[in-house]
Amino acid sequence: MHILGVLLPENQLVKHALTHFYGIGNKTALRLCARVQIHDRARVRNLNQSQVTALTAFLSSPANSPPVAAHALAGPDYVPPPLSQPAPQAEVAQPVDRLRDIKIESDLRRQMRENIAHQRMIGSYVGRRHAMHLPVRGQNTQSNARTARKLNRVERYN
Amino acid sequence: MWATAVVQGGRSAWKGPFFVAFPNLKHALENNIAIKTQARACTILPNFIGIRFLVHNGKDYIPVTVTQDMVGHKLGEFAITRKRFTYKQTKNK
Repeated sequence: MHILGVLLPENQLVKHALTHFYGIGNKTALRLCARVQIHDRARVRNLNQSQVTALTAFLSSPANSPPVAAHALAGPDYVPPPLSQPAPQAEVAQPVDRLRDIKIESDLRRQMRENIAHQRMIGSYVGRRHAMHLPVRGQNTQSNARTARKLNRVERYN
Repeated sequence: MWATAVVQGGRSAWKGPFFVAFPNLKHALENNIAIKTQARACTILPNFIGIRFLVHNGKDYIPVTVTQDMVGHKLGEFAITRKRFTYKQTKNK
């Protein structure tokens, strides 16, 4: 199944398949499943249409997703009202929702490129090392440094 | 997902950024005098903008002019400490 152009293998658990997105790891995938109400053990081939729609809607713009309803917790001395009366609505502050702040795929890649370009523009050590295709965080360069030679560019592709 | 931790660079929030209180900051900004310093670990604060620093790199003092984008970085990031190896034909010249 494809969601936003990313192939999710049919026979994998949804929480594992979601990590095929660039920018979503195991932790975020679990939270994402909880958010769109997909079971822990659900597999991609068992998803129904509404769940796929919910996933697509969330991942296409996490920042614009509807906020989660905040419910008040009951204290130890809480006495529920009788069933005939409606329950009083308590004022609850909206909790911080980090799942709405995630960036995936091209957004995340663009953010990374911008961060490197910023370092390069102000001429810091990190920016210089990127421009020289060398390790940035003090790793040895006498041998190896292969990953840095492959990846560290001002115009980085991944 | 934990943006604040990245912003603070692993330093606890109640301490705030590490910086050195330069006594001659205002004087330097008005008269365009470079501040000679060895405090490479000093975070660049918003009121440093426009000031010229001479930051020690272990051997010399490297001129650094602070701009808007440098705020939040350290002074030492802009004074490199390593010299690139260049081959010389004879050693004793």
